[in-house]
Amino acid sequence: MTRPALCSRRHVLHAGGFSLGTLALASLLREEGLLAAPVKPLIDGPLRYNLLPKKPHYEPKAKAMISLFMMGGPSQMDLFDPKPMLTKYDGQSFPGEIKYDNLAQASAKVFGSPWKFSPRGECGTQLSELLPHLGNVIDDITLIRSMHSGVNNHGQALYALNGGRVTAGRPTLGAWLSYGLGSESQELPAYMVLAHPNGLPTFQGEHFTNGWLPSLYQGTLIRPKEPRVLNLDPAPYLSGAPQIRQIDFLRSFNEEYGSDYPGEHDLQARISSYELAARMQTAAKEALDISSEPPHIRKLYGVDNPQTSDYATRCLIARRLIERGVRFVQVLNSGQSWDQHGDLISALPTNCMQVDQPSAALVSDLKQRGLLDSTVVHFGGEMGRLPVLQNDAGREKWGRDHNTYGFSQWVAGGGFKRGFVYGETDEWSHRAVKDIVHHYDWHATLLQCFGLDHTKLIYKHNGLSASLTDGQEARVVTELLA
Amino acid sequence: MNRHPTGFSILAVMGALVLPGAWALGEEELFWERDIRPIFKAHCTACHGEEESLAGGVDLRLRRFLDRNAQGIGPLLVVGQPGASEVVRVIRSGEMPKEGKKVSEADIGLIERWISAGAKHLKPEPESLAPGMHITEEDRTWWAFTPVVVSEVPKTFDEQRVRNPIDAFVLSKLEEQNLSFAPEADRRTIVRRLSLDLTGLPPQREEVDSFVADTSADAYEKLVERLLSSPAYGERWARHWLDVVGYADSNGFAENDSLRLYAWQYRDYVTRCFNNDTPLSQFIVEQLAGDELAAATHDSTQQAVLDPAHRDQLIATGFLRMAPDGTGDEVPDINLARNQVIAEEIKVVSSALLGLTVACAQCHDHRYDPISQADYYRFRALFEPAMDWKIWRAPKEREYSLYTPEERAKAESIETQAKAIEASAQTMTKQFLDEIFEKEIVKLPEAEREPYRTARATTEKDRTEEQKTLIKKYPSALALYSLDLYDAAAQKKVTEKIGEATALRTTKPLEGFVMAITELKEKIPQTSLFHRGDHDQPKQVLEPAELTVLRAPEIEPFKSAEVSSGTSGRRLAYARWLTSGNNPLVARVLVNRFWMHHFGRGIVGTPGDFGVLGERPTHPELLDWLADTFVKSGWKLKNLHRLMVSSSTYRQSSRNDMALTVDPENRLYGRFRLGRLDAESFRDAVLSASGTLNTTVGGPPVSIARDPAGRIVVGKEELDANGDVINVKSLGVDDFRRSIYLQVRRTHPVTVLDTFDAPVMTPNCEFRNKTTVATQSLLCLNDTFLLENARALAGRLRKEVPGDARGQIQRAWHILFCQEPTNSDITKSLLYLAEQTEAIRLKQQEIGLPKDGPPPDAHLDALASLCQIFYSSNRFLYVH
Repeated sequence: MTRPALCSRRHVLHAGGFSLGTLALASLLREEGLLAAPVKPLIDGPLRYNLLPKKPHYEPKAKAMISLFMMGGPSQMDLFDPKPMLTKYDGQSFPGEIKYDNLAQASAKVFGSPWKFSPRGECGTQLSELLPHLGNVIDDITLIRSMHSGVNNHGQALYALNGGRVTAGRPTLGAWLSYGLGSESQELPAYMVLAHPNGLPTFQGEHFTNGWLPSLYQGTLIRPKEPRVLNLDPAPYLSGAPQIRQIDFLRSFNEEYGSDYPGEHDLQARISSYELAARMQTAAKEALDISSEPPHIRKLYGVDNPQTSDYATRCLIARRLIERGVRFVQVLNSGQSWDQHGDLISALPTNCMQVDQPSAALVSDLKQRGLLDSTVVHFGGEMGRLPVLQNDAGREKWGRDHNTYGFSQWVAGGGFKRGFVYGETDEWSHRAVKDIVHHYDWHATLLQCFGLDHTKLIYKHNGLSASLTDGQEARVVTELLA
Repeated sequence: MNRHPTGFSILAVMGALVLPGAWALGEEELFWERDIRPIFKAHCTACHGEEESLAGGVDLRLRRFLDRNAQGIGPLLVVGQPGASEVVRVIRSGEMPKEGKKVSEADIGLIERWISAGAKHLKPEPESLAPGMHITEEDRTWWAFTPVVVSEVPKTFDEQRVRNPIDAFVLSKLEEQNLSFAPEADRRTIVRRLSLDLTGLPPQREEVDSFVADTSADAYEKLVERLLSSPAYGERWARHWLDVVGYADSNGFAENDSLRLYAWQYRDYVTRCFNNDTPLSQFIVEQLAGDELAAATHDSTQQAVLDPAHRDQLIATGFLRMAPDGTGDEVPDINLARNQVIAEEIKVVSSALLGLTVACAQCHDHRYDPISQADYYRFRALFEPAMDWKIWRAPKEREYSLYTPEERAKAESIETQAKAIEASAQTMTKQFLDEIFEKEIVKLPEAEREPYRTARATTEKDRTEEQKTLIKKYPSALALYSLDLYDAAAQKKVTEKIGEATALRTTKPLEGFVMAITELKEKIPQTSLFHRGDHDQPKQVLEPAELTVLRAPEIEPFKSAEVSSGTSGRRLAYARWLTSGNNPLVARVLVNRFWMHHFGRGIVGTPGDFGVLGERPTHPELLDWLADTFVKSGWKLKNLHRLMVSSSTYRQSSRNDMALTVDPENRLYGRFRLGRLDAESFRDAVLSASGTLNTTVGGPPVSIARDPAGRIVVGKEELDANGDVINVKSLGVDDFRRSIYLQVRRTHPVTVLDTFDAPVMTPNCEFRNKTTVATQSLLCLNDTFLLENARALAGRLRKEVPGDARGQIQRAWHILFCQEPTNSDITKSLLYLAEQTEAIRLKQQEIGLPKDGPPPDAHLDALASLCQIFYSSNRFLYVH
């Protein structure tokens, strides 16, 4: 059938049978199984997009992803990338070129890591003493020490790592995955974002924007405290019994009106849609409620330890969402809390303390549930830090400035190798020199795990075929894949 | 472009859309012109006939061309033997078409059946055919391209229900199916329906009462006149037009979606025109060519906008400035962006006024309609003098100041003073940095101090290698920039100084601008056909002309209008032709759209596509009668409204069980179509009922903000030092302005409106979707917009009917539904209130006293929760 061009970006949140308006179920079913990527938009109106599961280009390893995003730029030479040269030349003049971000506090003095590294796991990967728990799962992860984006500002670096290019306004990774693959859940959004109690990271909504993809693929922000989903919670004085009464009365009120207009399907559909909304309130609530988790799981994540409690809770929620079919979950920090221009020696251990145990627990918990093979867990920020010190005002004040020429991140599950280290920086951990992984290589590789060809996952935008890697010379880093 | 969602046969599509009895597919005889050529046109002729070179030497535009052999393969067509015909083999094997959608099984079947039956055609074919698109007799006689024909008003059995010819046309078709109209809707129903339809607002309680009590014979007509003369009428019907033109307060296209600060002048112009009942013909000419009416060029527009006689004509051309335009922003390919603006404007103009998907012919001949690629570029040539992609004017260069000479002089003098203050701030900065440097330098070893000083004083590009090394050794001593990082207090002093300049600038007279389309004097660019739509591959030069299939003596050959100002006169000539009354499309497209807004469905169900893939009119004679009447009565829309809303077709009830059974889709209008409130009407009706609606008319848009939870709401963002939103500040009474006045930012759709299917303008919207999704339900159940308004309504009920729960419920029904509740309705609500009050009281005890705000009032909360149910109910959300 020819349909008039539809202009609304109001899309079916969870399509199968939930929306009975102008969108006929039959047409939705017809779209089911269509390859997500090269849907050609009609010239005079957007396609009717949906979140039904889509088949990727080839057999996928990964079905879901949890991204533990560390805005600010974790210091790789203090956590993941040991450099004896830094220790050896600690306090002496750095011999090479350095690009500073903060000139007023710039210094040319080398800053050796104050923390010890030791080999962990059977693979023997060297890790900092700040990450003791990560060491316990090191045999399940791949550590990449040669990340590179090449732009020194937080914003541009974030856009590169999250949206493929240094410009703002592009769709984020989670939006692309939701667009390409739909959702496995009919009761929850495909793309969910767990915010920190202190607020969003800098650049806020840019972290989970759909950019110019349809708004259906926007990340749904889960608030850091109850109520975690907007409009899912009744006003406090209505929650529970009063709202049940309210929905009941609304149903009978609607049925009475409907009886005056028999055969009007839209009226019936709206009655069902209230039922669904009511169900979603519970379904989303159930998914977000960790009270049913047994003590040993709470302990594994560190839910009851005040220092790890918040992050542990959110990691645990992330696992619960993935279990219920959510495609992409991102766990965010606030501000740019890893941006240690000063006070590195006191601040970095605090950061690590909050995330180390929960993130390691997430890997081992997914593994014990048999979910790690199909779930990518990612830990990393938008940049790393410099080998020289910043703010030469006494050792306890020392920090490190930005570095996007060489930094580290780790990744586990979903088809990535285990107990594996990839790439190297130079002897100062200043620049990636061997097996460099550009942000777009990383994206191409990730999409590959999901069975998606990064050159084929495209969307028509302003007359161009737009993609996550956007025509950059991205390489699928097959060496990272099991 | 291909608009088939799936591989349905084009014939099946057309067959499915016509009414029963029109014509149906059977085992009837197949003919080339009617049955086979459309398939080849959709899939094959783009390469095989319409391009300069024929792929494989095969031309599929005429039946007899199939008798030729293809290069290197066997005969294309063996009459009677589909199995021996190459044309079938290559399609069936999937070898062809090489690009695009495969030919469907059903269509292949038709081709085979046609060949088996003798591969017949109906009419003699032309002797010779020029390369490119071939327009056939069938194309020219497509219903929408033929002149409007006024048929005799039909007779009906039941003459009682025929109030005007609309009813005769509609009822005669109903009677063919042994149906009749539904009974007349009651007064309370019709007053709500009419009020929401004409003004987008529910009637006030008093208005309902006075209409119900009015026993005079012309009570209904008086109601119609009152509503048509209300300023809210213009707002409502302007909103419909703004959909079609793609109105937005932002530029779109580029990722930052920059603001279009003066678009609102166009919005207010449209509202004014509807309220003043400006003839639509004048409205269209002004929008397409107001600059030429005003005899203004780009250079003289600055003067012309100051002349009240011409200002509106120039504002009207904002119509051609509505498409997304990224050329003032950072975009990856500026030439693509410019050409995209032109392409989008063409899309807006052609879908808004012609009801055709002309845009499909940008890259190749239209696959379904007789619009060639050359036609597309001839059409583009009408607009190219105003939008020359080689001498481009970015959005800012198309804004014309409304400053008078006096205001300008005053502003310039203030600017001079502000610049002087800024210069002194710069001097301060340098002094501070020099002082810092003097302190820093003493930290260096004595011997390096003077060389460092010299190095610092040397400009960066003149520094020697030694000097650079020295600076690198002591980077923090440099103190040439970033005063804030060295000395925050000093920076504060500088910032304060700069603040003085900023403050001074705010005393300039406010400068308004008009956003207009103009041409450069005597600069008429050449228009070329772009191969495959690519502006880097220009082919033959083309002159402006009407689409071939629509050419008529008035417009062929195309003659530009005489314009004294030296602009091309192309748009003015074209606009005059469109509104001459002889163009077959414009009036039909307009009346169809107005019909759709009144009756919930167009006579042509695809208001933006009157072509082959669009639906056929359900009532072609009625459509033509309306178009003719509209033109003859001077293109006056209010007349058309009167005609439509006074018909029995409009005034019948929404329930007719007989009609429902026979015609569930209500294509025959055997009942009034029940429909949901659109996004703006929903929000406006909620505000109206709660008593908070602010009815101020016109002006700059009300600002919107992204709240910390990511919702787009009315308000102003409060930012912290990092520029992050910490709170959204209320705008006071502006929070409650009508929805048409909320800023339309393409990337920031207002959550309440977006949830209820307000369109996103990419570039425009001819037809709004009306979905029923769970997000709407979640919003109704839990969103603060609903909760706050429900509470306001509860407060209003208490104030208006104090201490009388029964009376409050009754009042709520009057306000929200315009209906009188039955005793049983009231009793049920009373019971609900009693139980809910108790339930909430218990809940409140459980959660304890709020930290701020008034103490809990369980009864008020219960009443608010009842109001919320009413707001969320189908009885409120739908118009019957």
